[in-house]
Amino acid sequence: MIAKNVKKVDLAVSMIASQRPSLRERLRTIPWWLVAIFGLALLTTWAVTTQPAYASAFNYIKAGLSVTLVTTLVSFAISTLAGLFLGLARVSNNLFWNNVSTFYVEVIRGIPMLVLIFFIALVLIPGVTLGLKNLAPVFQSAGLIGIASSLQELQTSAMPMNIRAIIALSITYSAFLAEIFRAGIQSVDRGQMEAARSQGMTYPQAMHYIILPQALRNVLPALGNDFISLLKDSSLVSILAVRDITQVARLYAGSTFEYNTTYTTLAVMYLTMTILLSFLVKFIERRMNSNAKP
Amino acid sequence: MPNHDLMVKVSNLRKSFTGVDALNGVSFSVGKGKVVVILGPSGSGKSTLLRCLNQLETQNSGEIWIDGEKITASQKQLDRIRSEVGMVFQHFNLYPHLTVLENLTLAQRIVKKVSRAEADEIARQQLAKVGILEKADAYPSQLSGGQQQRVAIARALSMKPKLLLFDEPTSALDPEMIKEVLEVMLELAREGYAMVVVTHEMGFARAAADEIIFMDDGKIVEQAVPEKFFSNPVEPRTRAFLSQLLAR
Repeated sequence: MIAKNVKKVDLAVSMIASQRPSLRERLRTIPWWLVAIFGLALLTTWAVTTQPAYASAFNYIKAGLSVTLVTTLVSFAISTLAGLFLGLARVSNNLFWNNVSTFYVEVIRGIPMLVLIFFIALVLIPGVTLGLKNLAPVFQSAGLIGIASSLQELQTSAMPMNIRAIIALSITYSAFLAEIFRAGIQSVDRGQMEAARSQGMTYPQAMHYIILPQALRNVLPALGNDFISLLKDSSLVSILAVRDITQVARLYAGSTFEYNTTYTTLAVMYLTMTILLSFLVKFIERRMNSNAKP
Repeated sequence: MPNHDLMVKVSNLRKSFTGVDALNGVSFSVGKGKVVVILGPSGSGKSTLLRCLNQLETQNSGEIWIDGEKITASQKQLDRIRSEVGMVFQHFNLYPHLTVLENLTLAQRIVKKVSRAEADEIARQQLAKVGILEKADAYPSQLSGGQQQRVAIARALSMKPKLLLFDEPTSALDPEMIKEVLEVMLELAREGYAMVVVTHEMGFARAAADEIIFMDDGKIVEQAVPEKFFSNPVEPRTRAFLSQLLAR
């Protein structure tokens, strides 16, 4: 019994002395998923550069990159701004704005994104256009001939699908981002608002100078993750025949019957963008934590 | 009824939180330059009373005058009165994303529209007064609890308040840091600031108070000068409270 314990201690001492973790432990610390993705990237680069089928698929699909990126960036910018105001309305004591924003968020979040994109692009936007057109006689009778005639000329089909897609994604994502901002604002200690108000700051001043700067710091990682989700969800606009990379890939696959190469290339293109972005988010997160001053 | 010798006048204040009566008809006043210390067991309504004075809580009924001016429903008036009434919280509530100096200058600049240079000047004076000028460019998280609370006091002072409210300012501090905060508060009392202090520090109450108010169950049980309060309390409830403290 004692001998056994001595042996154990000896083993422990020798392990401490050598300071070398076992092979099994070292293998555990390697991020194998990252290695696999890196391998995949190498394989794809090799395929695109040496295999003519992949190369021609990639060269065709990349024509849609600018549409994908512009749709993502513009939609994210609009939905961030709208989401911020919706989030502020969600935490406000104003009964009207509070209910309006809660209604908006609950309705939007309760409908599948694909259905919502169809609805906004093909029902809501033509409907609003028609409604405006019907207002023309009102302006006419009010003597505002200029406005009346420009309303009269509205066509329900006038708005390009690219713009409709951006509007649809913005409306959808502003509801998601509203929830992120709401949570961020509510994560700031109640005492902060009390301290600011006790110094005579108005509610908007306290929000602007005290609450929002702290809330934004808290939600930055979540915002980054939603940006990545938006990039992926932008592929849904292909159903409106917007020529993003997904739509261009569908056209290419349809005409060449090269399904394997086309969709593999498309998937890897999305993956490359999302992995790069998630590294960026992690980097920002780490930088924020390193100079955090909570 | 405004009385121009009074900094605070409270008349028949009532406040209840969903079924619980926090304040049950409280009336008292604080003279200009006077220090009133509010004592009482937890849940007696003393913090609620203090928070009603600058309307962080709104009373259900009753009236409050600050420096002869009755508090009304006007938000604009309330914001102005708040800018003239400093408040120090139990948990300091410093702005963590701003430096110590910015903590002191922000409200001066955006509420009182003081120029940046003048606000800086005032802030540095107040930091020197609480003995922490060398930390002007630090962030609150880099300070000890006692230092943070002194910064919070300096933040209140930099608005040039005519009344200071203290809500258990030493309750969240380690014992060795309580003294440095109480010394600053004692100095302010000597300088003639009107103060209403909710605390459990009997030593401070004895040394600084002009008057002590003892509360229980949302009512003022006893009100007396410190000598009388500590040596010869009238009410049995006060005696029980004090003897419990002495037994500790």
